[in-house]
Amino acid sequence: MAYSDKVIDHYNHPRNVGQLDKSSTEVGTGLVGAPECGDVMRLQIRVNPDTQVIEEAKFKTFGCGSAIASSSLATEWVKGKTVDQAMGIKNTDIVKELSLPPVKIHCSVLAEDAIRAAIGDWKKKNGVEEQAGSAVPVAAAD
Amino acid sequence: MQTAESQSVNAACWSCGSAAPAGKAWCDACGKVQAPSEGVDYFTVFGLPRKLRIDLPALERNFYRMSRKLHPDLYAQASPEERQWSLDQTSLLNDAYRTLKDPIARTEYLLRLEGIQIEAGRSEEGKPKDSRVPPDLLEEVFELNMQLEEMRMNRKMGEDDPQLRADLEKARTQFEGQLAAVDSSLESLWTRWDTTIDNDTCEPETDKIKDEIVALLDRRRYIRNLVRDVNEALET
Repeated sequence: MAYSDKVIDHYNHPRNVGQLDKSSTEVGTGLVGAPECGDVMRLQIRVNPDTQVIEEAKFKTFGCGSAIASSSLATEWVKGKTVDQAMGIKNTDIVKELSLPPVKIHCSVLAEDAIRAAIGDWKKKNGVEEQAGSAVPVAAAD
Repeated sequence: MQTAESQSVNAACWSCGSAAPAGKAWCDACGKVQAPSEGVDYFTVFGLPRKLRIDLPALERNFYRMSRKLHPDLYAQASPEERQWSLDQTSLLNDAYRTLKDPIARTEYLLRLEGIQIEAGRSEEGKPKDSRVPPDLLEEVFELNMQLEEMRMNRKMGEDDPQLRADLEKARTQFEGQLAAVDSSLESLWTRWDTTIDNDTCEPETDKIKDEIVALLDRRRYIRNLVRDVNEALET
């Protein structure tokens, strides 16, 4: 099976590898895994508390080229988006962008799960209601 | 026409007409090769119940015995149908043997027969399922991968540091120990599963065992990867 040029590019030059301070309230961490192949993926976001815009994203993935490319692309895509916009990223978009073959679709699913997990963690830390409907999450007011 | 249990409807031999149980590769009465039954499973190929503990020497003996009987060379002079069937039966037999003799492949195969999807493969439209990997396992695996990567990087950069090699050896021993622990837990689950087959246990109990096996196989894949990676690091 041949990797697409985009996968190879992300694999050779992964964007945003690294980590953010897990304990910061502005940071959300998502750690997900694909037991089918033994991949693990950590994706972190730093959210501006005033604008809810994701200003920074980092990842670290142990897995195949497609898993690394998917998470690298995911960090690129979430940056500059609000958390609500980032929730709209679908694994199918990643599949299209990277031309992933059917056997590697689970890598894109993993990246989508990682985004959701990171946002979920951030929401939990900041007391934002985890509700699909609310477009503008009400900031936890004292 | 006589019928047995829902799955194994008896068919008649195409040649002599005697009743041949579905899944039999040849007719017991006249010895003629039969067309492979639709959807026959690997356990049935060997006439085995769907149990996880298998007598491997007996399996091997049966495999050779059946291979000798079905070998395509024996059918060089036979009709085109029989030639084709001997090929089909032989390839089915090979697949069945390869799957059943390997403990992990056998366990995964049984789970699939029991309707559990193990391989990757949520459809593109498939909604994200809840992660079935326990978070603490992910944390542990992630940490171990980080350590391993650090050791590999250090080793790549510098000269062959004996301390690093020692660390990697230690990690290998640790991972192999974990793998052995998983395998022994898996064996006790096999026993529990086989008991439910013997006792015709009700569904909630068998479902519970299946879930435990799935969880253990998930863990095993992570640890197996770690063992593989640490071995690679030590070889280079």
